[in-house]
Amino acid sequence: MSVEIVVESGVNGFAENKDEARSIRLSRVLPAMTAGEDVILDFRAVRYATQSYVHALIGEALQKLGEHALDHIEFKNCSPQVRSVIELVVDYSLGGFAEKKSA
Amino acid sequence: MKVFPHLGVQFDPGVVEHEEAGRFLPVTQIRRQEDATAVIANISAILHLENDPESLAAVQYCISELLRNVLEHSNSPDGAFVSAHRFVEKGPHRVTIAVADCGQGIAAHLSNTHAEVAEDDELALGLAMQLGVTGAKRGMYGTPENAGAGLFITRCIAKGTGGYFLLLSGRAAYRLRRARSNDDMIVLYADPYDDNRGDRWRFDKPWQGTVAVVEIRTETIADYDNFFQWIFKQIPSRKVVTRRIKFT
Repeated sequence: MSVEIVVESGVNGFAENKDEARSIRLSRVLPAMTAGEDVILDFRAVRYATQSYVHALIGEALQKLGEHALDHIEFKNCSPQVRSVIELVVDYSLGGFAEKKSA
Repeated sequence: MKVFPHLGVQFDPGVVEHEEAGRFLPVTQIRRQEDATAVIANISAILHLENDPESLAAVQYCISELLRNVLEHSNSPDGAFVSAHRFVEKGPHRVTIAVADCGQGIAAHLSNTHAEVAEDDELALGLAMQLGVTGAKRGMYGTPENAGAGLFITRCIAKGTGGYFLLLSGRAAYRLRRARSNDDMIVLYADPYDDNRGDRWRFDKPWQGTVAVVEIRTETIADYDNFFQWIFKQIPSRKVVTRRIKFT
């Protein structure tokens, strides 16, 4: 089974409201994933998202389930900008930030 | 808002006030997330950025992160005050954003997890601008709500466009100066105090709370193929599992 969630954005396709992200995480993402279901996050309405928003949406699932979470979550219709922030959040959620390094 | 009436001060500037539309966001009080969302939704029309989506996103990003910091971490009794100004006549074309609060300050907040900064505002500012530092929890990726990357990315947005960034709290302030060249823009430092474009001050009298100012040079954003992809790729992480992510 899979659960499909269409991620809403604010005006101009900018997703930043962490309260909304937290609500989606707690009411839909975590219950589905802990029940062993697949989750599809559809970003068709989002052109830009803050790192804080994506962190609030998926960070806890990644931290709890580890890399295994990636087998059960799919990111659909992502703009290049959204894709890059998802890649960032996944990487640091599974491995932390590198310390004291000039980027 | 009318700043002086808000403060209970009678003041007659003796000049005609400017029309704000298309130029600036007047000082606006933000008490709740809904107030912040309204400003972020309206900023495009206020600053006439409809035809420049990357610049608009950079402005929205900084406003969102700075206001969220105040609402989540400052314990400010009056919330946040935000203003923004777009400069399009004389170069460099740019947007400046300022967010201020009268809350507990960065040192008091960060000392929840980093006791060593409790009495040292300068140390607290330096830590707050680094990746993965949050007063919510000490650790490699923070809490489910906070990773401690917001101020770092905000600083990166200013730096990557060649603009300036200023952070002031308690008795200390830090300023990243405008870039003089492309090289200045593309070298990002994990520790802001390693950046030779940075200045630091210590004050005798403190600002009880925090002030953050960001300058985004909108004309340079067009030089990037994709500004936000570039920003996010500057952030180093320990583990790269990007290839395993399912994008469809």
